[in-house]
Amino acid sequence: MMNEIVTTLLASIPFIGALLCLTVWSRSDYVKQTAIVMTMISLGATIALSPFLTVSSEGFLLLYLLPLAACVSILGQPTHETHRFAWVLTLVFLGLGVTILASHGVVGHLALLVLFGLVIGLLSRHHSALWPMSWWGIGVYGLGAVATVTSAMTEPPISTIASVLACAVLLPLVPLHSGYFTALTRLPGNLPSFIVVLFPAVGLHGLVMLTPMLPNNVAVTIMGLAVFGALYGAVRALAQSRMRLLLAYSSLSLFSMLWWFAAAAGITTAWASVFVGAVSFGTSGLLLAWQAIRTRYGDDVDPQAVSGLASTMPRFAVLLSLMALAVMGLPPFGVFSGFMGLLLTSPIASPSALFVILLAWLATSWYILDAVQRLLFGQQRPDLSFTDLQQSEFAALLMVVLIVIALGVIPAGLLGPNIVALSPSDIMGPFAWNK
Amino acid sequence: MQVSLVLGVPLLFLLAACLVVVGPDRALSQRAKLAAYPIGAAFCLAIATLYLVATQGPITFRLYDPASVGSFAFPIGFYVDRLSAVMMVLISGVGSVIYTYSIRYMYQDAHAPRYLALIGGTTFVLLCMVSSANLMMLFLFWQILSYLLYILAHNHSHAGTLDGAFRTFTLLRLSDVAFLAGIVLAHFLYGTLEFQELFVRAAESTATLSLLPGVEISGATAVTLLLFIGGMGKSAQFPLFIWLPRSLYAPTPVHALLHAGIINAGGFLINRLAPLFGQSPATLHVALVVGTLTAVLGATMMLTQNDIKKTLGFSTIGQMGYMIMECGLGAFSLAVFHLIAHGLFKATVFLNCGNVIHKARQDPEFPHADQREEEEHFSPLTWSTGFFTTLAIPLIILLVTHGVLRIPLLESQGAVIILFFIWVTSSQAILTLTRLRAVASWKVSAAMLLTFLFVVLVYLFAVESFTAFLYPNPAEVALYFQAADLPNWLFDLLLFGATLSTILGWLYLYLRAHGRSVWMPPWVDGVRIRLYVLFMNRLYVEQAYQHAGKFLLRLLHRIDKHAQGWSQR
Repeated sequence: MMNEIVTTLLASIPFIGALLCLTVWSRSDYVKQTAIVMTMISLGATIALSPFLTVSSEGFLLLYLLPLAACVSILGQPTHETHRFAWVLTLVFLGLGVTILASHGVVGHLALLVLFGLVIGLLSRHHSALWPMSWWGIGVYGLGAVATVTSAMTEPPISTIASVLACAVLLPLVPLHSGYFTALTRLPGNLPSFIVVLFPAVGLHGLVMLTPMLPNNVAVTIMGLAVFGALYGAVRALAQSRMRLLLAYSSLSLFSMLWWFAAAAGITTAWASVFVGAVSFGTSGLLLAWQAIRTRYGDDVDPQAVSGLASTMPRFAVLLSLMALAVMGLPPFGVFSGFMGLLLTSPIASPSALFVILLAWLATSWYILDAVQRLLFGQQRPDLSFTDLQQSEFAALLMVVLIVIALGVIPAGLLGPNIVALSPSDIMGPFAWNK
Repeated sequence: MQVSLVLGVPLLFLLAACLVVVGPDRALSQRAKLAAYPIGAAFCLAIATLYLVATQGPITFRLYDPASVGSFAFPIGFYVDRLSAVMMVLISGVGSVIYTYSIRYMYQDAHAPRYLALIGGTTFVLLCMVSSANLMMLFLFWQILSYLLYILAHNHSHAGTLDGAFRTFTLLRLSDVAFLAGIVLAHFLYGTLEFQELFVRAAESTATLSLLPGVEISGATAVTLLLFIGGMGKSAQFPLFIWLPRSLYAPTPVHALLHAGIINAGGFLINRLAPLFGQSPATLHVALVVGTLTAVLGATMMLTQNDIKKTLGFSTIGQMGYMIMECGLGAFSLAVFHLIAHGLFKATVFLNCGNVIHKARQDPEFPHADQREEEEHFSPLTWSTGFFTTLAIPLIILLVTHGVLRIPLLESQGAVIILFFIWVTSSQAILTLTRLRAVASWKVSAAMLLTFLFVVLVYLFAVESFTAFLYPNPAEVALYFQAADLPNWLFDLLLFGATLSTILGWLYLYLRAHGRSVWMPPWVDGVRIRLYVLFMNRLYVEQAYQHAGKFLLRLLHRIDKHAQGWSQR
């Protein structure tokens, strides 16, 4: 009972915030300030009230990260009337996300259904010549909604498989990644940089409950898809010149690794939360950084046409480099910690699959560094004017960097209740160890 | 007290880096000078740490619970034994000299704050790496070092530099991933990443790995092979060496740090994990082959370069080859001795090479040509004395010395090979001197003999003392030598072949240097020219990497194009 009351209280804060924003709708700056303040209140309330919530095995980390993600995504957006709608929607999405993560049972399913419905509605409305309507993306979210209803109304194993499908739509796994890609490229304003944290967090929340119940053949299928997805994402990312697609493929590759570890171990530990949180925040930060470029040089700017920003936009260059390092998986950022935690607490289900995972991990260093190097270094364009980050943009990117560092160095005891190690005897597959 | 001492060494370098970076531009010069004080203090603390460790034993402290699996990802802890303390003194000493030199060298350079801070930051990372308490922390700083190498060799607006820096990072990441796989395997096999615990469990373990039916390798071999690949990248071993010559656009002090400190990481890694490597003869043999190949190719490529920095770069590659080869022979302490000597030597050379270039540009007569008429004078007495002094006497002295120092010459192949190399290098030095000054043979020979006696005795004494200091247990040293033993027939063949080719080479060089004609088949000249071109172009390895990269990118774009057909986004 206490859990339901606290969940309602936590979810109501962002919704109230959305309503408050409507009351000051005519002033863009007020809307932005209200939205930021409400995300901060939401964070404070989550921290204060989390002891009264039933702790799930992934811990409260994702619940804390959601208001922070909403805050930085709004903060990183320039103040303009065209962005008001996205800010209000961010609060609505935050309320739905908190409801899904904190509640159990029907309420969570309903909130997830509303979330899918809202995204479908937004995607059918928002598209452009550069990013045309994607029926595949909308269809995948529709499938997610159907899977959510099915999982609520049926018994295992059908409900388990339906839940896996819904999770695969949220925490992207091939072949259901189109929805995630469409959301990342077509949603308006700051929403992509928030969605990239919200959806994987919700997907992981579902996966945590599912993994112990996965039938063996489903787990094997997921492992196969995950290995393919890790490699596919890396290969496609290597060939991308458009920044948002590069980030989408990069995160697909990294999230696929998580799917592999989860399916191989049959349990999702708190390291998964660190990994998902860090990958999401790193990607969100890079999207915000790209937003800063788009604000200055237009939505359809070619990344290869802008170069030499290191000397003209030094603050931007430093923060972008740090976020790139985070996504590349270098220490002391959270992606590295999460990946190491997953590697050392999961069994080697297949050495060849592990080899592919490590290959995809290596490729991240290649394509992310290549993209960042093109932007920051080389000859600067004399025909372009350069303006370094505004205060709010700087604050948002700095927050992202600090969060991914915090995720990397966070004491293990705070992460969650079920950090377990596997004994060497858990090693399986074609490796034959004779002791 | 001990903890603050150990922590103080790296943290003072970090403080120096922060001092340079934080503050207004107009006070940069003062801040840069001020930062030299904490750096000097760090060197003093490193010496104090070495004394403390030598007298009271290793210092260990951890900021995590080693029994908790939750502490995997960021386990900061320090384990300073004699090896770590020696490395800390070397790194902080070289770092102090380089930083002090750089203050004036980089004066008024637009990138001075960045480079000075990076020198402080890199030294901090190196110090943390060598004093790590576990494999994970070592890997953590190992990776940061990969990125620092990328930005150290960086000039924002120079396309060649950017290209080289990018390749450096991607190549180092390749070896980092092998290192990571080694760590994962070690953890699965032994259940720990704490050094001492790891060595104990590895010694107790008899795990083997079946890659193919009937093909088995030991767990220790699998782990050490992967970790060795990690070390190959940082220490520029063949075929992962191309990043080093590509990074030569960086300022000279950065090179001094790179060649004196960072590149030694591979040798340090093997020494740090000596008990683990000592359990795997196969890995040691691989190290011997890779090291020998790198030494031969690096030295040969060095001879054909026409750029002073590239020459020094390939000289470093050759020396790193020797260092890894020594590890492959089981002479771990000798590798550390070598890396210290090479580090000090190469740092001095790099810090001086700017002056040499400057002088050469001002003075067309510099460097001075040799006096050829003196060299071409030939005397049979000089020739036979020189020949005997060069070849026979060093061998006799060495054999006598072994008796005095009680080195188990006939029981250890590693010792024989090391002594063989001492003989080769010292005799080479004598040969060079005899060639340059062919007159007054008896005086020269006597001087040679005395010098040789002095050098070899001091060298052997130093090596033996250093080995006893680093590895106080002689049984442990003998065990490593034993692990590295080759099959007797192969060993004899290698030694015979190397001796024969060395003596024939000397004869040829000696006679040519003194104006005697040596008959050679005509095709030899053609081969020599072809080889010269091949080595001058660094065996076209860079071009091969470039073509492979382009091919891969073309393939990826083709896959992407096809995938767009069926993948909707």
